[in-house]
Amino acid sequence: MTDVDLQDFIGGFVAESEELVASCNAMLLEIEAAIGERTSRPQAVRTLFRGLHTIKGLAGMVGVEPIVELAHALESIVRMADKRGGVMSREVTDVVLRGVAAIGERVEAVANERAVAAAPSRLLDEIANVEGTEPAVSLTPPVHTAWDDKLSASERQQVYAALERHTPVWTVTFAPSDERAASGITIGTVRDRLATLGEIVKIVPRARAVSGAAPVVTFDLLVIGASADTLETIGLPLEAVVPLAGDNIAAGSPAPPSPTEPLAELPPEIGRGDVAIAGRTIVRVELERLDELQEQLSSLTVSRFRLEREIAALHQRGTDVRTLREIAEQQTRQLRDLRRAILRARMVKASDVLEPLALVVRSVARTSQREVQLALDTSDAELDKAVADRLLPALVHIVRNAVDHAIESPDERVAVGKARFGTILIRSHEAGGNQIVIEVEDDGRGIDRERIAAQAGRAIGDNASLLDAISGAGFSTQSIATRTSGRGLGMDIVRRIVVGELGGDLSLRTARGRGTTFRIEVPVTIAVVDVFSFICGAQPFVVPVSTVEEIFEIETMRATQPPARSRSPIQVVERHGRALPLVELARILALPEPRPGSKALVAKRNGELVAFAVDRMLGRHEVVVRRIDDPLVRTPGVAGATDLGDGKPTLVLDLDELGAYARARALAGDAS
Amino acid sequence: MKRLLVVDDSKLMRDMIAACLRPLGAVTFEFAGTGLEAIERVALATFDLVVLDLNMPDVGGVEVVEFVRSQAKLQNVPILIVTTRGDDDSRSRVLAAGASSYMTKPFAPQAILEEARRLLTERAPA
Repeated sequence: MTDVDLQDFIGGFVAESEELVASCNAMLLEIEAAIGERTSRPQAVRTLFRGLHTIKGLAGMVGVEPIVELAHALESIVRMADKRGGVMSREVTDVVLRGVAAIGERVEAVANERAVAAAPSRLLDEIANVEGTEPAVSLTPPVHTAWDDKLSASERQQVYAALERHTPVWTVTFAPSDERAASGITIGTVRDRLATLGEIVKIVPRARAVSGAAPVVTFDLLVIGASADTLETIGLPLEAVVPLAGDNIAAGSPAPPSPTEPLAELPPEIGRGDVAIAGRTIVRVELERLDELQEQLSSLTVSRFRLEREIAALHQRGTDVRTLREIAEQQTRQLRDLRRAILRARMVKASDVLEPLALVVRSVARTSQREVQLALDTSDAELDKAVADRLLPALVHIVRNAVDHAIESPDERVAVGKARFGTILIRSHEAGGNQIVIEVEDDGRGIDRERIAAQAGRAIGDNASLLDAISGAGFSTQSIATRTSGRGLGMDIVRRIVVGELGGDLSLRTARGRGTTFRIEVPVTIAVVDVFSFICGAQPFVVPVSTVEEIFEIETMRATQPPARSRSPIQVVERHGRALPLVELARILALPEPRPGSKALVAKRNGELVAFAVDRMLGRHEVVVRRIDDPLVRTPGVAGATDLGDGKPTLVLDLDELGAYARARALAGDAS
Repeated sequence: MKRLLVVDDSKLMRDMIAACLRPLGAVTFEFAGTGLEAIERVALATFDLVVLDLNMPDVGGVEVVEFVRSQAKLQNVPILIVTTRGDDDSRSRVLAAGASSYMTKPFAPQAILEEARRLLTERAPA
């Protein structure tokens, strides 16, 4: 019997499907751009087909039927496009985009352990109906006798088109061997390297008959676009590089494959360095596992502090602790390195985060009838996945506004002497102090200060006050937004995410008629903590879930309270047959009008349980905590601040410190 | 120790297939992500079983089977095709080309395990 449960692979399914959905979207955008240029992208169509096919297979294995159904329907129309030479109409592209979006939504549902909605029947109908309307494409002509029977119609089309444009086409031959494989040169690496030089249309294996010996294979690669020079200098041990018939192909007389000189084989050492890069392997890990690692690291840090205390105690008692100190110091460095390594593992490339915005630009541009292109200038900057996930909605808002309101209509642009196509440029780069800067620049009409001033009912001086005016919650009504340059829409949300939640910085520059740039600067990493929220003295607070042992009702247990109305903030309740100190949190925090709390949070302190009385519980959330480390601002008992989504800071309490403080106050109170 | 080659362009699918076949016991797994890599691997090393997907970048499973069977030394290597439904016209092509057996995704872990065991034992006495 097998004990294999394919449900164990759900995490992997989500990760791989997300990647495939992103790849399908990228291919679709490429295909759509090609339609605009009146050409086709057979390679992209094939990749799209394979992506959908793989999603279907994987979803079937883990039993997510709605995704199987959608992918199957889409796959069949994309297959048809592939068979017709890789030509896809705008209509088909559009339906497939929506279908891929529907798959994406369902993958997300699986990721969040929500119920997966059935495949929308209207969309399935549309997919089925669009099928028959595909324009027939004339039969693709033969390109070369050696290749014709090995190429599909779309591949022949691809080669034919290249030859027509006088783009060089090559047959490149590679022979694998054990020695080459041992030094990292395989057909995989050869393919990857050649793909950087040109477009690989097809690779076919050719068996070489060598009597008695082990089977021998060579590969013929059909490559479009690489120059002879680059093929020679790439440093791969290629058997032969032969140009495919060129100019007279259109006349139907393919030139014979003239065997040019085989390239001298380079010593394997030359390839090795590159192979190491090509061989960089990537493992996808669920974010949760990295969180786990980080938690382990925190407890390691705590025990490290305890060790230090013990060493100090030993030292006071006169023990020689030099070696122990050395070890402890080394451990501190190791912990720091470990923390860095974990943080690095959580990083994603800024470009990976920003690329999906092309889809936003596309869809908004379509509905608002603008012509807009998105340009990315992203360097190698990286940011924490948790930051990226939170930042994306803010970027979507800014980009959406830019397309919708800042970029003028094509006619308007031409009238003022601008290019018909509006451009939105997103730049990102690392800034000092572990910050990342993302700028969204449009070449639209700029923000009209006078109008904003009139709307806001006050004078607008510098850019900062302009940003204040458009980020006011009251400003974000649609009527005002569309009558002005539209910058009001959702800017309060952007500010809340960037400034309130991530503790970053938001600013803008704008010039009438020339465009607007929003600049976002946020920390590269943040701490995400699972917290309980509750009300105490009419205010919300949160505490990390990890610091709470138990939550219980205290109403009924008030009876056990000591009769003496002492001013001590600590009382006693009975819990599980034990007396438990109960701290009135509202009194400890000196909140106005403290009332006896009705719920108690139990925390463990030095192995002893302490209960804190609060008014009522609100819920449990994952929040970004901004630590307060500045010693001048730091208050005992307050670990940091967070935003529960209302735009106001909420304090994160440290129950351990509060317990110590309450005890100290109780002792002082008893003494007085 | 039996040597198995699992060929699929999806890493997850390769992992799932290996997980399903691990109960075979004394086996080592090698993996290839494309048909090309598969051909290179079978040309350079000897395998007791090849588990092969059909739809892959570069070179598809049918061509892999055609290549393997064109080699005298590889005539008897069992090839188990594992593919997603929808490739129905490939089914007859790949069986004609000499694939030993054919399974459709999604498959039950037990089903692929039994099929692999059958292919391995049928060949063992030879």
